[in-house]
Amino acid sequence: MILAGVLLLLALVLPGLPLGEWRAFLLDTAQFAFLISGLALAWDLLARTGQLSLAHGAFFGLGAYAAALSAPALGTVPALLVGGAVATLSSLLLGLATLRLQGMYFAIATLAFSEVMRTLVLKAQFTGGSIGLPVQPAFGGAYPLGGYYLAVAVLVICTLASLLLSKSRLHFAMAATRQGEAVARVLGVPVVRVKLVTFMISAFLAGLTGGVYAMKTLFLSPYDAFGLGRAVEALVIPIFGGLYTTTGPLLGGLIIVSLETWLRLRIGEGYLVVYGLVLVLTILFLPKGLMSLFARRKGARHA
Amino acid sequence: MDLLLQTLINGILAAGIYALVASGLALAVGVVGIVNFAHGEFSMIGAFVSYLLFVGAGIDPLISLGLAALVLFVVGAITYYGLIRPVLAAPELNQMLLTFGISVALQNIALLLFGADTRVVSTSYQGATITLGGISFGAPPFAAFVLSVGLLGALYWFLGKTRLGFAVRAVAQNRLAPGLLGIETQQIYLLAFGLSAALAGIAGVMLSVMLYASPTVGFAYTLKAFAIIVMAGLGNLRGVVPAAITLALAEAFVSTYVPGGGGWVEAVFFLVIFVALTWRSWRLS
Repeated sequence: MILAGVLLLLALVLPGLPLGEWRAFLLDTAQFAFLISGLALAWDLLARTGQLSLAHGAFFGLGAYAAALSAPALGTVPALLVGGAVATLSSLLLGLATLRLQGMYFAIATLAFSEVMRTLVLKAQFTGGSIGLPVQPAFGGAYPLGGYYLAVAVLVICTLASLLLSKSRLHFAMAATRQGEAVARVLGVPVVRVKLVTFMISAFLAGLTGGVYAMKTLFLSPYDAFGLGRAVEALVIPIFGGLYTTTGPLLGGLIIVSLETWLRLRIGEGYLVVYGLVLVLTILFLPKGLMSLFARRKGARHA
Repeated sequence: MDLLLQTLINGILAAGIYALVASGLALAVGVVGIVNFAHGEFSMIGAFVSYLLFVGAGIDPLISLGLAALVLFVVGAITYYGLIRPVLAAPELNQMLLTFGISVALQNIALLLFGADTRVVSTSYQGATITLGGISFGAPPFAAFVLSVGLLGALYWFLGKTRLGFAVRAVAQNRLAPGLLGIETQQIYLLAFGLSAALAGIAGVMLSVMLYASPTVGFAYTLKAFAIIVMAGLGNLRGVVPAAITLALAEAFVSTYVPGGGGWVEAVFFLVIFVALTWRSWRLS
């Protein structure tokens, strides 16, 4: 909670600080970090129901393309909402077909979905195919910091959604679904509906994030927007930071994106290897993520 | 008419290698209970083993088949022992994340070592074709098909006729009871996961000749193998062969008859997964 407040304050004043010649680079990296952390928070929402989604990269890409294509006609904010809506609609269809079944079916279907979306965008005409799609900057470029503050806003929305959902009745329904569907059902939790609603909220946030990303990079290609990299980032960050929490993905996002930015400069394309290793090592040795370190220390102080 | 026949043959020939990869995956899912997202990466390693042996030592892929199977059995056993075993009791989410992490790590290690280029093992017989009554097809796909059928036959024989095979099937059916009967459950898991990786590795050697070796070559096969075992029912080994034939034929027909079908072939497996899952969902409710 406190960390979230401090981060928000820092994010708001960052453009005003005297950063010297690193200003542009820092602001760009920060903006990227906000967006990826937002995506990670969205992914974590669904993980709270025990479902593994490998499609969040695809929702991010769908949101990006939908926002980019509708922005000239609708304006920035409505276009972002369109991006979120397209992602939500696709999650509804995918969820209706798979969320009734065991969790592994869902994971497989989401992975297949993200692969097939890239194929479709590559083949389609109106998306620019493999050539890519140029995107207008946010608000037609009227405000130089518009994109930056949109990213801050999206991160705030994702954080609030994460916080509110962990205080709501839905939170308990989600936890019960995760810990044992049969028991949850006996207790009167409409398991399938809980999973579906969470999936749609999560996909909407991912689509929103993607839209702002499109207006940041100003150019979309299927390999970038629908790359496996996005899906990997979306899940490594919450796991590294701490699943089922709000602070975890925020903290993880800060650390992992810094690491990624540095690695991209050093080793280029293969930087994802670090994500794979972080994922494997965290699952094996720190399954509750960084947050469990703090929790343990707090527990020790009480004892 | 010839076109139809040609399409049918292309589909059937492709089904062999699909069935090989998918039955390995079905072993991992059915016996060990692990959804292994890194399955295709075992094929990728097999393809690179074949490539490196061919370029480095001039060893023919036909001989590499055995070597790759051995290497991948060991890789699979180590993966099971070091990485999978610790999470067998963990929530399903953690298990799937772990294998996905292994997949991402292996793909990118290969990318760092070899770069993104595709490398073909070009043997003297690579371009050879067989012509039968106006229908022609490549010799390597035909050989791969025959070999796949032989290996699948051996696998079914092992599972259906040997004591060890019975033990594997017993463990697949019940986690606890075989232990009480004196079957070493842990060793069976190890064996099944090793076999699963070895089958993927053999398929990888075939891919290195028929397609190429590259860091991402295995990933497409992970997805196709998933489509096949989802159609067959997760862990159901019997259904794998008909499901593999269905997928391969569907792809062959799309590639022949759909205009501009080349790119759409890559979407067929998703349609198969989606239809199979929707059907399962409907039957459930």
